[in-house]
Amino acid sequence: MAKYFDIDDILIEEEYVPVVFHKAANGVTIDPSAETNCVEQGSKVEVPFWLAQELHSRQAVSINLPACFNQKTRLEVQADAACVDLRSRCPYFYEFGCKLEPLVTDRTLGILLSTAFKIRYKETLTKVYTAAHITASKYLSFLTKEETNLYEAAHLSMAAFKKWRTGGPRFQRASILGRKRKDSSN
Amino acid sequence: MYGRKGYQLVKDFASGEKGQLKPFNSKLFDETVEECDQNHHLIQSLIRKMQQEGLDVQNNRNADHYGALVHHLSLIRNKRCLMAYVYNRVEIVRDLAWRVGLELLDLPSEIQEKLTTLEKEYFKNHSVAIKTYMGKVGIELNVDMVPPKDPYIKVRVLDDIDEGIVLGDKVTNFSRHSMHFVKRTDAEPYISRGQMEELTG
Repeated sequence: MAKYFDIDDILIEEEYVPVVFHKAANGVTIDPSAETNCVEQGSKVEVPFWLAQELHSRQAVSINLPACFNQKTRLEVQADAACVDLRSRCPYFYEFGCKLEPLVTDRTLGILLSTAFKIRYKETLTKVYTAAHITASKYLSFLTKEETNLYEAAHLSMAAFKKWRTGGPRFQRASILGRKRKDSSN
Repeated sequence: MYGRKGYQLVKDFASGEKGQLKPFNSKLFDETVEECDQNHHLIQSLIRKMQQEGLDVQNNRNADHYGALVHHLSLIRNKRCLMAYVYNRVEIVRDLAWRVGLELLDLPSEIQEKLTTLEKEYFKNHSVAIKTYMGKVGIELNVDMVPPKDPYIKVRVLDDIDEGIVLGDKVTNFSRHSMHFVKRTDAEPYISRGQMEELTG
């Protein structure tokens, strides 16, 4: 429950996973292929993770791996993890994978996540310290949400370090008010 | 799909810049509540059906039970989205009080417009709580955390400020772009509201 109010956690759990129903369920419209508003036993449906997780814990469904962890992604990660566009596959690739790992039968998921992360983390840090912010923007669009947060944290600490070295006004407009409107100074 | 409206509501919050308010999305908020109501009705009708068939609602695990379960989980999910939406907004409201100023009317008008009546109420109550506490301990807790090197700083006025503000002992005319040498503590609230900037060097 620690993350009950966590916005990212809520967004992660909205990712869809394919499940197989072991029990029938009446009066629900979650199976688009069904003619009536009920789910038959053995039907394959894509449902959000929050639903799949709870149904799984009551042995009503079994969970399969979603498309973002398929063989194609694995091969690409093996080839060169740093250049794979993970965001378009799943913006929360790692956290979603971690939530999924104990619920699926596939035991290789954890290894996939950690190898991908190790290689990409190194690459991300190198990019922050070497590339200019503008040239990195193409690379940024490949990063998942978690990696973007790391990138931004590294970027901020670099900026803070530079500011500390060169000096400048310590006290500034509260960041909570948003960026300053340009027109107010004209 | 169930729980969709709640997701859209949270997504709406997340699409804003981090730590900054967007106008309260009361349309989506009401739609989410409505979706909860629909789920609730469907649970009730499924349970009623089970009761009419003379089944033990507590222990029976038939298709109706799983149908009701799906609706129940969807309702819980939407509730979580609603709670998170309100909670995360309130965190920003508290931040405003700490970092910008304890008076609601001192906040920039574009921020005030984004708050709902209840959030304004919360802001006021929170400010009162902070003030009472600061009065008791006798320390101003919302000033800059780093001790100043010099009690006076040079500032430039960025925005039109109402004339006749008394800083220290004299009345000064703070017209836009004018520069002043003022006490740091006097200038701090204006800087954090973006009406002045500190000049260095």
